[in-house]
Amino acid sequence: MTDQFTCHKLSNGLDVTVEYMPGVKSVAAGFLVQTGARDETPDLAGVSHFLEHMCFKGTPNRNAAQINIDFDRIGGNPNAFTSHDRTFYHGVTRAADLAGQLDILADMMRSIIPPDEFDMEKNVVLEEIAMSNDRIEHVAFDLIIEEVFKNHSLGWPVLGYDRTVKALTRDQMHNYFQSRYNPQNMRLVVAGSVDPAVVFEEAERVCGKWSAGEKRPDRVKPKLQTGVATKTMDRFNQQVVAITFEGPAASDPLHDTAEAAASILGGANSRFYWNIEQAGLAPYAGAYRLDFGDCGLFILMAQCDPQNTDRVIDALRTEATQFAAGPISEKEIQRVKNKRRTSLAVEGESPYHRLTQVMDDVDYRGQPRTVEDRIDAVNRIDAASIKTLFESFPVEGEGLLVSVGPLEASAA
Amino acid sequence: MADPVHFHLDCGVEVAVLELPHRRAIASEIRMLTGVVDEPADKLGLAHLVEQTLDKGTDKFDGRQLQDAFDEIGTGAHTWCGKQACGFTSLCLPEYYDRSMELHAAFLRTPTFPQESCDVAVELARQELLTLEDDAQGLADKFMGKQSMGPLLGRHSAGEVETLSGTTRNDFVEFWRSNYGAGRMQICVAGPVTADQVKSAVERHFAGFGESSQTHREPLPVEFSPVTTHHEKETEQEHIIIALRSVPKTDNDYAAARLLLGVLSGGMSARLFTEIREKQGLVYWVGGWQECPRGAGLMYFGASTTPERCQKTYDTLLSELDRVQKDVTEEEIERARTGIEVRTDIRGDVTRALCGELADDLTHYGKPVPLKDKLAKLRAIKVADIQRFCEQYVHQAPRSVVTLGPAALSS
Repeated sequence: MTDQFTCHKLSNGLDVTVEYMPGVKSVAAGFLVQTGARDETPDLAGVSHFLEHMCFKGTPNRNAAQINIDFDRIGGNPNAFTSHDRTFYHGVTRAADLAGQLDILADMMRSIIPPDEFDMEKNVVLEEIAMSNDRIEHVAFDLIIEEVFKNHSLGWPVLGYDRTVKALTRDQMHNYFQSRYNPQNMRLVVAGSVDPAVVFEEAERVCGKWSAGEKRPDRVKPKLQTGVATKTMDRFNQQVVAITFEGPAASDPLHDTAEAAASILGGANSRFYWNIEQAGLAPYAGAYRLDFGDCGLFILMAQCDPQNTDRVIDALRTEATQFAAGPISEKEIQRVKNKRRTSLAVEGESPYHRLTQVMDDVDYRGQPRTVEDRIDAVNRIDAASIKTLFESFPVEGEGLLVSVGPLEASAA
Repeated sequence: MADPVHFHLDCGVEVAVLELPHRRAIASEIRMLTGVVDEPADKLGLAHLVEQTLDKGTDKFDGRQLQDAFDEIGTGAHTWCGKQACGFTSLCLPEYYDRSMELHAAFLRTPTFPQESCDVAVELARQELLTLEDDAQGLADKFMGKQSMGPLLGRHSAGEVETLSGTTRNDFVEFWRSNYGAGRMQICVAGPVTADQVKSAVERHFAGFGESSQTHREPLPVEFSPVTTHHEKETEQEHIIIALRSVPKTDNDYAAARLLLGVLSGGMSARLFTEIREKQGLVYWVGGWQECPRGAGLMYFGASTTPERCQKTYDTLLSELDRVQKDVTEEEIERARTGIEVRTDIRGDVTRALCGELADDLTHYGKPVPLKDKLAKLRAIKVADIQRFCEQYVHQAPRSVVTLGPAALSS
């Protein structure tokens, strides 16, 4: 870590990380809350995401309309997302308006969860669930997660289920909110052309009076399940198939290697591209990583004409097995490293991109990395590290096979 | 930031360069002024097929070798197919710019269209149409494209099942021969590179490529159909799109159109989000956007909602479109303006966004337009300008409506 980053802990324990980016006009800021779907109980499935919506609905100082108007007065570009293990509220604006941006974002972190807005926003979340149900790739992803993490809190969808969202009460949400939204479970990250001392001063002003609170309950590492799961949905025309294996956690030193391996196997100009897509078997075939702090997945996935399903599954398995068995040429590795270096250089221009990267580093790896740190990590990838990856996380064997689409279960 | 440098080369290529010496990477966009509008009526989808197959073989490389050559210099290269242009974008480190242009020239100038690659492209296009059938929003957009722009500009790049099946390798070759050449090329570059370096590279790699006379820069007619159609589909949500005629980017009223869209759909406090989602909880997604083929403009407003809320959502969309003329305020316009200005600053930090904006300027204005000129036009807009625009283009103006989902609107 270099002095490009300045870290500071407020008196109440809130960690603040600032990346100084000279020469840019915009500044990005975000509050990371280290809670998500995996931190819910079964009856509260979806509360983290619904709460994210409610944080835009009212604070001690602003109602929903005032939050929105105040953001728009400074062009704050606010947004938020919830995942299985985090909730992130962020915005990008001009450097001169950072104080205003922090004031609104911090205010939202003290949401009053206004009762008169609760049922209205519940309808919005139910519409979001309906929208997700109309997308076959979302249905497939939810099924992968549900089956591979069966009987574990990582297994339910971030949006929750229709029934749990409908049954959720404002008081249940408020209790959850009070137990999680405190400095023990939160981080503030800022990236842009800003003086860190000014950021810390502003952070103290808008967050310094928050009570320290308690740490979220510890998470339990899941045991991954294998087998076959199918969902017949004849309203869709294509079939989505996926084979899921265990992969390194986000905190594992092998995570950069896994990213490169996924790219060689199933990225642009990859083995999947030439041997599956350009063989005319499927218009989309890729290898993806999904990682959390304590576990990760390596997913081989394709969308295809249902009549090609068996051939596509065979091709995904064959390509992955051959890849893991090696040998992998240095040229193949070098090509992926070259592309990653360029994309990191480009991402390094944008405060928003850096905000999300720094947030990810702080959350999963305990400290931020510069663009150069990231490029160094990419440069260290070689055939030996890929061999180690697949020895530790094999992509052979059963895995979890998921198939969603019009095919009957017996055929899928 | 310096102003872009704009010039026309003898070989026919039009070039614009934004020199940004302190950036880490160079963004480049080559626009070939041909797209779906140039397809024969019985070969819809051909422009996209050609764009997808150009890089599958050249006189010096086979497809893999070409991709590997791009990867060896770490260049992320992408392509797209639009109505009146196909785009070839890339991002590379400064030391590899010339090589990147050389590789682009290789596949643009000497594609071999291997038979097998053409067959695969047709098969994958057929499967992509299946994917589109599963994308309700995308499908609604496709129907609206035809309805609001007509049979030529409303074509979808994916083509149609019946036209794809009859497309042969000869069609690929003929389309490329007829529509690709230096006279139809616009090249925009932004990053740590000088205009002289770009000029030299373009001349070296593209001189003598096809016709040098500059063509295909004229507007095409929009055929707007003010009708309502419903497309039945088994989905959980109903998709609504409303289209209105608007103005091209070159029109004096374009700044008013932009700010009107900002008032209705620009930020969190915009009217459609506030009235339809925040106050009534009718939708998760509602929004407005514009499309500007060269010399034309259209505004669209859309929402997705479950069938029981569909009519109310539609009625509220219409009432908001009517109401805005009566009570739009200076404060709302100022918020919309701030949103556009800040997003402009944010894009200014991203080299590829600046390159894309430069390419859009050449497409619509025929030259780079200084940012300060665009912002000055926005700053001049008052309530009366928005009201006048609404009177002409929104209030009681002909509307084209598409719904897609389980049930049609009742009124």
